Amino acid sequence: MAMFILSDATGIGSDDLDPLQAFVDMVIIANDDGIGLNDPAAGMQQVTYARTQNGPPQLRLDTLVNTAFTPDYGGGANNVDTIIIAGLKDFVLDDGSSFADNGTALAPASSGLAGSSLNPTENCLVIYDSQQNICVARDGSGGDIDLSISNPVVLYHEFSHAFRIVNNTLLALTLECDPASPEENAAIIDENELRTQIADRQGETPELRDPNIHCGQVGCSGGCCIIASVASRSWSSRQVQALRAVRDHFVRSTEVGFAFFERFFHDYYAFSPQVCTLMEKNAGIPGVLLEGYIDPLLAFWRMMIQRSQTPMDEAALGHLFATLHPDRGEASARFDALDAVVRRWLSGGDSDAEARELIALLVERAWPSEYVQWALIEPVRIYRQLLSVLLDDTTPGSIGREFAAALDAWAPNFPLSDVWGVFAVEDVVRELQFCETALMQSASGKRKFRERLRARFAGVTAVISVLNRPLGAMGGVA
Amino acid sequence: MTNGEVKPDDFKVSVKSIGVRARQAEMVVQLSNSAGRALHYIADVRTTRYDPATRRLTLAMSDAGRVLVPSVIEKPPIFRHIDPGGNAELVIKIPERIIKLSRSAPPGELAFETHPLADIEEVVVDIAWSDVPYYKDTRASAQEDPRMPAARWEQHTARVVQQLDRGKLKAT
Repeated sequence: MAMFILSDATGIGSDDLDPLQAFVDMVIIANDDGIGLNDPAAGMQQVTYARTQNGPPQLRLDTLVNTAFTPDYGGGANNVDTIIIAGLKDFVLDDGSSFADNGTALAPASSGLAGSSLNPTENCLVIYDSQQNICVARDGSGGDIDLSISNPVVLYHEFSHAFRIVNNTLLALTLECDPASPEENAAIIDENELRTQIADRQGETPELRDPNIHCGQVGCSGGCCIIASVASRSWSSRQVQALRAVRDHFVRSTEVGFAFFERFFHDYYAFSPQVCTLMEKNAGIPGVLLEGYIDPLLAFWRMMIQRSQTPMDEAALGHLFATLHPDRGEASARFDALDAVVRRWLSGGDSDAEARELIALLVERAWPSEYVQWALIEPVRIYRQLLSVLLDDTTPGSIGREFAAALDAWAPNFPLSDVWGVFAVEDVVRELQFCETALMQSASGKRKFRERLRARFAGVTAVISVLNRPLGAMGGVA
Repeated sequence: MTNGEVKPDDFKVSVKSIGVRARQAEMVVQLSNSAGRALHYIADVRTTRYDPATRRLTLAMSDAGRVLVPSVIEKPPIFRHIDPGGNAELVIKIPERIIKLSRSAPPGELAFETHPLADIEEVVVDIAWSDVPYYKDTRASAQEDPRMPAARWEQHTARVVQQLDRGKLKAT
């Protein structure tokens, strides 16, 4: 006996565990169909593995599954099994540490190894959050924490620890995460072997983790764009890449941008996977969505990127919009596609069952989020309005006035994240400067945003002290 | 790691509000600094402990008591500071429940304890702080100290206790 997946246990519901995900992750590690599970017994399913491949991950998995480990931790040899516990949202260890967005391998209680004091059993417990959103340091980047980590790689990292635990060869663990301890360095090196193998299978260049940095965080400025990926049929389509560029432009360099994205990402993923499921069931939806929503959304945000780099008055905004839509026929086609989305999905004008289901989902989960409204809904409404003005043969000057007015109404409603509450003065100055440069360029826009900040954070000294300075007294912001 | 100029009550914590927002229970605490220098603190919850006997939930923004374990990542604490004489506000999310490994299961059996937190009667927030920013202690002697680095850094812990009516945190 060696490895099991926990599928049920006293004190929790079976919904709290994710044994299927654990099995899927092991299938990916094994990369063949020699991996299997016996029937459940006492809430656990024993893993079986008839290995057919000879790569390091497969050899490691074979050893862990098919070896009866009897390490002697000092009290005589005893059988130690590895039990995989996947899922467990809201799980905390005895010391109070949460393992949301993390994973651990706990040595048997009597082993005296690191983590053993938190393990009430005499087995090695591999515990991981199968809904993790972990971000780690990218190899060769000098410490940039911007590399996501898939579930199989998380599990394989913990298998590396488990291997040394059950062989009683655990290396030294240190309290700092940079540089990584010998034990974590070894686990990351193993992790990279699986990353390399998975990339080879997919014909891609592997993205590796820095083996000398164990530090990480939750979220890599988020993943991105699941709806666009499904609609465009590719994780690397021009739309997805463009949306990532928008995300990175606004999010990467600022705390407020990052905090915005964190909350937006949370709200977005409350409905986007279900949208994708509906798209898979209805072949008509992806194309309509791509042409009538995603492309217009991208067009708006690309203009926002340009505007954030060079302040624009009404004339410049009008010129920008007109220049980006030189072909009246194409502009008209885009307007029709956008209009169809609005009428079909926002006005309930479609009798298709999946479309009605989609509308109901969006009404319940997407529309109530101020983050989704601000980033995804309002921009498309503004864009549609401007296209309509363009097609009425108005001048760039008129378009510019409409554009400026629309931005003045929209930009200052940028959702206020709680992070403003913990800023020191220099943080407020920096972040406010970003907001006012990138988003609220007009005096009235800045005023509205500042009023909202003042009202929301009236008890925060740093915010009030900065807002009490005259506009223009903040290092050039005016 | 330094001492002398600040007093333990220079960093104060009080509860501004506690309730449910967008189906998430949360507590907003106000932090104030009455010292003549900036004070630095940990701004994220590092441990969550619940005592079912007293229905007391303790949310600690401190690494004191955390045990070193093998893991996928180590998340360093989020450090912030408050200017002298300043106030700040921190929003702390309260989980719906916590799940722990049970120590009262029969030998050889793996079991858990699930504690729903909607019925908690007391919330304790502990915030570790110091009069200097965190920096690595590179002394050889530090390698022998079993405490997490941020636990070595902390000079004081500010605490606030909030009593609740049972059921106050049930999401509506």
